[in-house]
Amino acid sequence: MIITIAKHQFLTLARSAQTWMIAAILALLFGYLFLQQLETFLNIQDQLSLQDYPVGLSGYMSVRYLQPLALAFTFVAPLFGMRAFSDEFSRHTYALWQSSPVSTAALVLGKFIGMSMVMLLLVLIAVGMLFIMISFAPIDLPIVFSAATGLALCACASMACGLFFSSMTRHNVVAIISSLALLVLLWLLGSASFGELPIQAISQLSIASHLSGFFQGYLQSADVAYFILMTLMFLGLTVVRLDSLRQNGY
Amino acid sequence: MLQADKLHRTLSASVAVSGISLSLARGDVLGLLGLNGAGKSTTLKMLCGMLVPDSGSVTIDGHSMQEQPLEARARIGFLPDQPPVYDDMRVEEYLRLCGQIRGMKGQQLSDRQSEVIEQCSLTTVSRNLIGTLSKGYRQRVGLAQAIIHEPTVLLLDEPGNGLDPQQLDAMRELIRRYADEHAVVFSTHLLSEAQSTCNRVAVIHEGKLVADVLAQGEDLEALFHGAIS
Repeated sequence: MIITIAKHQFLTLARSAQTWMIAAILALLFGYLFLQQLETFLNIQDQLSLQDYPVGLSGYMSVRYLQPLALAFTFVAPLFGMRAFSDEFSRHTYALWQSSPVSTAALVLGKFIGMSMVMLLLVLIAVGMLFIMISFAPIDLPIVFSAATGLALCACASMACGLFFSSMTRHNVVAIISSLALLVLLWLLGSASFGELPIQAISQLSIASHLSGFFQGYLQSADVAYFILMTLMFLGLTVVRLDSLRQNGY
Repeated sequence: MLQADKLHRTLSASVAVSGISLSLARGDVLGLLGLNGAGKSTTLKMLCGMLVPDSGSVTIDGHSMQEQPLEARARIGFLPDQPPVYDDMRVEEYLRLCGQIRGMKGQQLSDRQSEVIEQCSLTTVSRNLIGTLSKGYRQRVGLAQAIIHEPTVLLLDEPGNGLDPQQLDAMRELIRRYADEHAVVFSTHLLSEAQSTCNRVAVIHEGKLVADVLAQGEDLEALFHGAIS
C-alpha cells in the first residue's frame, strides 16, 4: 500500500511543470557553483598545499560547493511537500483516501517516500557532478558520502516540514510561507548569540549547526539523529493533524 | 450489511445529525431525501468513516467503523458530492490506483477495471486525461472508482449531479443492478430520482430522521412535505 501511494506521489510530482522548473533552476545553480568553485580551487591550490593540513579537491568542493547547496535544498524541499495535502483538500480528492482502507500513517509515509525519491534524485545529480573530476583528480569517497548524507537528511527534514504545513491548510501559498518561516527561524537560531543556559541550548536546534560536520567528513550520530528526529516529528504531527480531520471535518 | 445506531454529530456548534439509525440489507436501495443542509451529506460521511460521530456507531458487514476502520472501509464505496478525481491522470490509470488502494492487484484488477469502464460507459474516454472530461463523465469516473472493488455497501452523495437525462437513466439502471447483490444508499433532493431508483426512502430534516418507508406505492411528494412540515 505504501509503495502504491509513493509511486502515485512520485508520478504526480513528475507530471507537474513546477517540479521540472525547480529541477531546472537547481541544475543551473549546481552547474554555476560547481564551475565557480572548481576554478577558485585551481587558482589557489598552491596556497592551500602550504597549509598545515592541506585541503584536497574533494574536501574543498564539499565545503565550498555542496554546503551552500544544503541551504538551497532546505528552502526548495518544502516546495515539493507544500501541495501534498493542500491540493488534495482544495481539489476534493482527499475524500478518496479518507473513505479507503488506507491508514493515515501509511498515507503520510507513502507520500513522503514518493517526494523523497524526487529529492534524492536531485541530491544525486548535485553530488554526481563531483564525479566529473574523477578523470583528473582522486575523489575522497568518505567525504563525498558524508556530504551527500547531510544533503539528503537535511532535504528530507525540510520536506517533512512542508508536508506538515500542507496538511494544515488548503492553500499552497500559506503552506509554503509557513514552512519557510519556520525553516528560516531554525537556520537563524544557529547564528544568534545566546548568553547562558538554558537559552544557549536553543541554538542546538539550529539546522546550520548540525550540517557543517557532514561537509567536513564527520558523520556524527548526534547530527544524524537531529535530522531523523526532525523528520519523524513532522511526519508524526502530519498524522495527528490528518486524524483530527476525521474528528473535526475539513 | 449496514447498521447505523443513533448517530449524533455536531458541526460548528450546531447539531448536524441527531439520533439517526439506519439498517440496510442486501438488495436495499435507500434514498436519503432532505432539503439542503438537512444533514444528508454529514450522515453519508459518518457512514463511510470520513467523519467520526460524536456518539452512535456504524457497522459494515459485521465490522465496526470505530474498532475496525480499515476492514469496514474496505467494504464501502463512496462517491462524494464532488467526484474525487485527479485531473492530471488518465481514466484507466486513475481506476487502477483506486483498485490498488483497495487491495486489488494483478489480473483481478485488470478484469474489474475493464468491467467498470464498460458498466459506466467510459470506454471511449478511458485513455483521456480526467481534466479534459465533461462534468457528466467526471461523475461517471467517480462512480466507477466507488464500485471498482465491488463494495458491500455503496454510498452516493447526489450521484445525479451533472448528468443529462440519458446518463441519469443509465446510472439508475446501474444502481438497481448493483443493488441485486449489495446495498446502496444515495442522497438526493429530487423526489423523482428517489421514486424511480429506490425501494426505500428516508427523509432527513434538521438532522433528524423523520420518515423511513418503502418507496413502492408511496406518494413521495405528500410523504416528504408531511415529514418536513
